[in-house]
Amino acid sequence: MGLAAGLASGVVMHRSDFCIAGMFRDLILFRKAVMIRMLFLLVITSMILFEIARQAGFLPLYPFPLLYPPTPANLIGGFLFGIGMVLAGGCVVGTLYRMGAGSVLSAVAFGGLIGGSALYAEVHPSWSAFVKATTFFPGKITIAQVSGVDPIIPLAAVSAAGLFVLFRWQRQGLLVRRAAVQGYLQPWKAAIALSLTSTASYVLVGMPMGITSSFVKIGGYIEQAIFPAHMEGLSFFKAVSLKYTYPLTGVYLQGGPGPVADALAVIQFPIVAGIIIGSAVSAVSLKEFHLHFRVPAKQYVSVLAGGVIMGLASRMAPTCNVWHLLGGLPILSISSILFLGGLFPGAWIGGLILSRVVLSARPGMEEAEGKLQCKI
Amino acid sequence: MQNIEIDIRGQVCPSTLLFALKEINAHNGELRDKSVILSFLTDNRDAVVTIPESASNMGYAVSVTKREGYYVIEVRKD
Repeated sequence: MGLAAGLASGVVMHRSDFCIAGMFRDLILFRKAVMIRMLFLLVITSMILFEIARQAGFLPLYPFPLLYPPTPANLIGGFLFGIGMVLAGGCVVGTLYRMGAGSVLSAVAFGGLIGGSALYAEVHPSWSAFVKATTFFPGKITIAQVSGVDPIIPLAAVSAAGLFVLFRWQRQGLLVRRAAVQGYLQPWKAAIALSLTSTASYVLVGMPMGITSSFVKIGGYIEQAIFPAHMEGLSFFKAVSLKYTYPLTGVYLQGGPGPVADALAVIQFPIVAGIIIGSAVSAVSLKEFHLHFRVPAKQYVSVLAGGVIMGLASRMAPTCNVWHLLGGLPILSISSILFLGGLFPGAWIGGLILSRVVLSARPGMEEAEGKLQCKI
Repeated sequence: MQNIEIDIRGQVCPSTLLFALKEINAHNGELRDKSVILSFLTDNRDAVVTIPESASNMGYAVSVTKREGYYVIEVRKD
C-alpha cells in the first residue's frame, strides 16, 4: 500500500518537478510565485479532504499521532530546515525523487540527511529538555483545541478564504505553467494527486504520509554497525513515539526512531522506496536517466552540508516539511504554522548562501536579478 | 554566427538558472548584435521550464529541443 502511494508520488513529482524547496527559494530569490501557489492549493485541498473524511468518521485519530503542542523549537527547526533544503537543492522528498531520477548531488544530499538525522541523537537529551520547558499549550495541538471550538469552524473559515484566492488565481491563469519539457504534468494536477494520496494515507493508517523517521532508522542501522557501544548509550534511539491501535482497522502500531523493524518502518520504508523507484521509472521512460559527476566541487559541499542541516532540523522541529505542510497545516496545527514561519527566513538565508558563496555569482547576479524583477 | 555551448548538466537547483542568467548577461552585447547564440545543455527538468521563462521575459527568443538524455535550450535575439 505504502509502496503504491510512494510509486505514484514519485512519478507525479518527477513529471511536474514538484520541488517544495524550490517553491520557497524561487519565491524569495526570483520573486516567482507560480509554484508556491501549488503548495497553497495542496494545503487547501488537503484541508477540505481531511475534514470531509473526519466528518464521515474515517479519521478516528484527530489530530494524528506524532504531532505535538507548539514550542519555539518548531520555529527554530523550520528555520534551519529552510536553510538546509535550499542548500541541498531539495527537501526531504525532493531529494528522494531527484536521486531516483539520477541526480548524483541529490544522492550526496541523501547521505547528508541520514548523517544529520543520526547526529541529532547526540543532542537529543538537551534539545528535548528545551522543548519540554518551552511548550506553549501543553496537550493542545491545533488552533481549534486551543480556542476550544469545533475544528470545522477555523477549517471552514480558512478553506473558504483559500478557495476564494484559488478561484481568483485560476481566473487569472496563474495556476498553469507553460513548459516545453517532455511528459510534463501540470503541477496543479500533482497538487491534487498528492492531497488525495495524503488523505488516503490518513484514512488507512491513521497518519498522513511521512518519511523522515525512516532516515533516522537508516542512520541508526549504520551507527549500530560501526559504533555499537556508543549507540547503546543514546536514549533517543530507544524512544517509543508511536503506540496505538488504529480503530478503523484494529491494527496495533508501535514504533520509534530506533533501528528496528517496527510499525514506523513498515509504514515509511515502502513510501521512501516507492518515491525513488517511481521517479526512476519516470525518468527512464523519458530517456532522461543519466549520471553526471562533473559538477563544481562547491556544489557537492553545499548539498552535503544542506542535507546534514536538514536531517538535524527535521528531528529538532520535530519532523519535516512534508509532515508539517501536507499533514499538520491542513488541520491547522500550531506547530506546523510555526514551522512554516521558520521556513521563509530559513529559505532566504539559504538562498543568500547559495547565490553568494556557492555560486559566487554576485556580479552577474545583481544584474540578472534586477532584470528579472523588472520584467516579471 | 557563433553558437556557444554551455554544459550545466548535473548541477543543483537553482544554479542552473543562475548560471544561465549570468551567461546571458555576460554575452548581452553579442546576443543583441546577433553574433552569438547561447545553447544551454541541461538535464534538469525544472531548468527546462525556468530558463526559457526568464530568457523570454528578458526579451530573447528561446527554443527547446530534446537530445539523448538531456535538453538543449537555445537563446538568441530575433
